[in-house]
Amino acid sequence: MTENRDLNLLSDADFRSEIRAWIEANYPPELRNPPKRLHLRENWPWYQALSEKGWIAPGWPREYGGLGLSPTKQVIWTEELERHGCARLNDHGLTMLGPLLIRYGTEAQKERFLPRILSGADIWCQGYSEPGAGSDLAALRTRAERDGEEWVINGQKTWTTMANDANWIFLLVRTDTSGRKQEGISFLLVPMDAPGVTVRPILNLEMHDEFCEVFFDNVRVPLENLVGAVNKGWSMAKALLGFERLFLGSPRQAAFALARLTDLGRHLGLSDDPVFQDRLSRHHLDLEAHKALFADFLRKIERGEAVGAEISVLKIIQSELFARITEDMLAFAGPDAGLTEALDGDALNPSALYLQARPAMIYGGSNEIQRNIIAKAVLGLPG
Amino acid sequence: MDIPVLDHAPDERAENLRMISESAAGLLQGDRRRARALRFSDPGFEHAKWAALAEMGWLMLRLPQADDGLGMGLSELCVIARQTGRELVPEPVVMAALIAPALPLAARDDLLACRRILLPAFAQPSDPLPVLRDGRVSGRVRGIPMAAGADGFLVQTGSGAALVDSGAAGMGIRLDPCHDGSKLGSLTLTDTPAETVATDMIRLREEAMLALAAELLGVAETAFDLTLAYLKERRQFDKPIGAFQALQHSMVDLFMELSLMRATVGQAATRLDDGATGDSAAAAVSVAKARCTEGASRITRAAIQLHGGIGYTDEADIGLYLRKAMVLGGLLGGEAFHRARALSLAEAAQ
Repeated sequence: MTENRDLNLLSDADFRSEIRAWIEANYPPELRNPPKRLHLRENWPWYQALSEKGWIAPGWPREYGGLGLSPTKQVIWTEELERHGCARLNDHGLTMLGPLLIRYGTEAQKERFLPRILSGADIWCQGYSEPGAGSDLAALRTRAERDGEEWVINGQKTWTTMANDANWIFLLVRTDTSGRKQEGISFLLVPMDAPGVTVRPILNLEMHDEFCEVFFDNVRVPLENLVGAVNKGWSMAKALLGFERLFLGSPRQAAFALARLTDLGRHLGLSDDPVFQDRLSRHHLDLEAHKALFADFLRKIERGEAVGAEISVLKIIQSELFARITEDMLAFAGPDAGLTEALDGDALNPSALYLQARPAMIYGGSNEIQRNIIAKAVLGLPG
Repeated sequence: MDIPVLDHAPDERAENLRMISESAAGLLQGDRRRARALRFSDPGFEHAKWAALAEMGWLMLRLPQADDGLGMGLSELCVIARQTGRELVPEPVVMAALIAPALPLAARDDLLACRRILLPAFAQPSDPLPVLRDGRVSGRVRGIPMAAGADGFLVQTGSGAALVDSGAAGMGIRLDPCHDGSKLGSLTLTDTPAETVATDMIRLREEAMLALAAELLGVAETAFDLTLAYLKERRQFDKPIGAFQALQHSMVDLFMELSLMRATVGQAATRLDDGATGDSAAAAVSVAKARCTEGASRITRAAIQLHGGIGYTDEADIGLYLRKAMVLGGLLGGEAFHRARALSLAEAAQ
């Protein structure tokens, strides 16, 4: 399905009200405000609904079946999803691989993979981190060796989100060990049902199997599954991380948490308590400032200005604000702080948010490594 | 989210703001040496410099073009305020520029021709407003920078604005010395004869709060720049101290704070220029003023710490910035006031 209109032509307000009405009419009510990230079997009806409407890929260019939305409209889109409490999809194909193939893939790769991402026929996961390559991602050791018309893959990936739902994985693999570690990395596409692929879920602190380890034991894929040139995978992956940091830096998690902190105040009868008000006002101001900064970055991008490593500030500020808000939720919740179920039978779940804020400061490049990068690349500090 | 490549017309306003900022920066370059020398003196600024800045048109920035002014917005005024903060410029041109369009014709002409220096006397938000009755004003106003050099004040009262002469009967001016070497003025008005002026002083005070936020932003920016340069130059353990990760992370935290301050000032100025009034204007102003008061304080404090012992000497310029932030931060509502106001306005808007 495709959307025939260019939705950028709508005013922001009209766009917002149209998508709001559609989301309210089409989002499965039982999936609102899930306390954990949903698996594919749970969020599939929503994936299908968006796909059939032609709205599954708001950021992709229209010629590839996306909506080609401007960054500002994409933010409105995200805000409306957040507002209604929509679950996040298994979206690595939509937000990561699709844009990468559109930019670097061959025509054959685009034709083969993009429609299947839009329809949900293929669900992708991202194989980047390894046990020995976290913040130092370029130290990755999973290797691919050429054998005739095939690549042979051996090694291990970890923190692979929703690998247990995916039928494909995109991988960063080592194809050369002779030069700088960044220069021997390639980008490969691998079906999860290939012989030699093993997935082992990891239970996190929420007792949720959101992440997995993925093992590769002599896994063979054809040469055509390489994206871009051999040993040039690092720069492509880094280009993608820039988008990820913008997405991870959007105000959505902090905004959601602040709304829940406000609810918690009401729930506990603390709304007018001066200590509670003081904490709330701090977070409110921090969120307003972050939103203003996020909007500045969007405007720069829309004007076509180069945005460099400083975009990482969004991710640090957002995730740490998200964390501080959830820390206050726990502090005010008292004896209810450790309960697993929502306090109001709906979305008010301090402990779940508190736990979710922990990895937010780690994934996508830990906040400490982001600070190292900004110190050197933006502030020009030595060392 | 992925980022489509879009063709957009260049943003003319942004380009203009950049040009104004650069020209002001050029004009004020190195001015903090002069600012240092003017500390602990009366009136604390130079009439010659005032005239030079007036010559540049700064006093008529906000005056509509129909009145032979430059017809510029708050965004432009904030750019200038930020530059004056960067170099600690003592001349209160921004506050005078803010009220120039509101002044009666004769007074405005006097101001623009540098015959008289007229400054606003806004009530602190927690203080009662002076009372204006039958052309006479009574009450108290405190926290007026550079009051010693003013020939008159546009006083905010409970019923509009009142223009009073510094030498008028029933007018007392007390000058309190401050840590930045300036003096804050307090006016005590007792049946002081005044010219009633038809203008919205509440709105002008909002604009003044925002201009103060912009000035604090400039103060914080230079404190940051001086500190960053120092970390690259000062060596211990055989390397620049900026090579140490603990200090690098501190600097990144300050850089993020600065980015947030900049964003809130820009957002508030744009909203007010785009026609925001009343509560929505006040909410944006409070977000910026609270942020910039807190941020300037945090950044200048950290700057002293990162300089080490030299930072606590009067000789090092970095201390000028800490003391400036101490004095400016609390004027027209400090962090606590604006934080509370921002939250209550947001709650009321829901």
